[in-house]
Amino acid sequence: MHALVTGAAGFIGSHLCQDLLAQGWLVRGVDCFTDYYSKSIKERNLSPCLAAPDFEFVQADLVQAEPGPLLDGIEVVFHLAAQAGVRLSWGSEFKVYTDNNLLSTQRLLEAAKDRPLKRFVFASSSSVYGETPDLPMRETSRLNPVSPYGVTKAAGEQLCRLYHLSFGLPCVALRYFTVYGPRQRPDMAFHRFLRALATDQPIHLFGDGSQSRDFTFVSDIVAGTVAALEGRPGQVYNLGGGQRLELRAAIRLMEEIVGRPARLELEPVARGDVGHTAADMSKARQELGYRPRMELREGLARELAWLKEIYDL
Amino acid sequence: MALSKELLDILACPKCHQPVELRPDGQALICARCRLSYRVEDDIPVMLIDEATPLEP
Repeated sequence: MHALVTGAAGFIGSHLCQDLLAQGWLVRGVDCFTDYYSKSIKERNLSPCLAAPDFEFVQADLVQAEPGPLLDGIEVVFHLAAQAGVRLSWGSEFKVYTDNNLLSTQRLLEAAKDRPLKRFVFASSSSVYGETPDLPMRETSRLNPVSPYGVTKAAGEQLCRLYHLSFGLPCVALRYFTVYGPRQRPDMAFHRFLRALATDQPIHLFGDGSQSRDFTFVSDIVAGTVAALEGRPGQVYNLGGGQRLELRAAIRLMEEIVGRPARLELEPVARGDVGHTAADMSKARQELGYRPRMELREGLARELAWLKEIYDL
Repeated sequence: MALSKELLDILACPKCHQPVELRPDGQALICARCRLSYRVEDDIPVMLIDEATPLEP
């Protein structure tokens, strides 16, 4: 099989490329190295793939580049490229989010619609649910995103639905729930917390830590993403880790792993952050055979090991 | 990973969307129409308008 992976140098995209290559796929990666975080981190993410003969890579921006030729010979598209980050999506930065999350998706869908693709997999996010009293979140739940980022992801899903309805493009959207593990972005909580703990720095915590998340290890997300090939076109699936935990409890676990008490510095709740997330995974379990396997303690230990390596701790 | 012919065949100038040509030294891709040069860095074609350089007249 021949896949196009957008966002190939990112946290999840780079793991996905490696997994596909290990399964014998041909992989074409695209990434524009947005300046949201350091290019050197992304180059490091990508380096195992660049050594593989079945991998080709283009640095291109889907907002500028003609996506058509990139789809030549491709059977499956994994569209993971996006502007990430909930808190920065307010204000004048919003255009970056509409460009990179919405316009790029529309351009790719438009180029893909007349091609015989097996699947077009769109990486969405639990942030489309926003603030809801009804937990766990089901695919049928009403969407109330509370960040502009969540709005662009919800709109991206709708575009996929529309291209499926109107052109029969076999789109499947996946709602990722708080993904962590090696290569996690430097702005994400576990990366910041573990690094702070390992270097005996204070942890800056937004809110009081009572917010809870359904944490999902990156290898589980990758397995679910590949399993989306079995998904029904036009459908959306939750991919969570099945281990909802309050942030405070996650920090206690990190203290045990690092072997040092955390010094917390509480910051006001960030606008756009939701109180709780929890994925109902019955649909993904039944239709994709999705079974998250990683236990949180082990997953955190693996992320810590990676952080020690990249920061030379 | 070297720059394969298959990869070269699918590359296009992000500005005019026309095909580009590999410079004989293999270090850049040239769009004759826009008179822009896109560098090839460690075998990675950098197809970004912002990072392209104009060709000498």
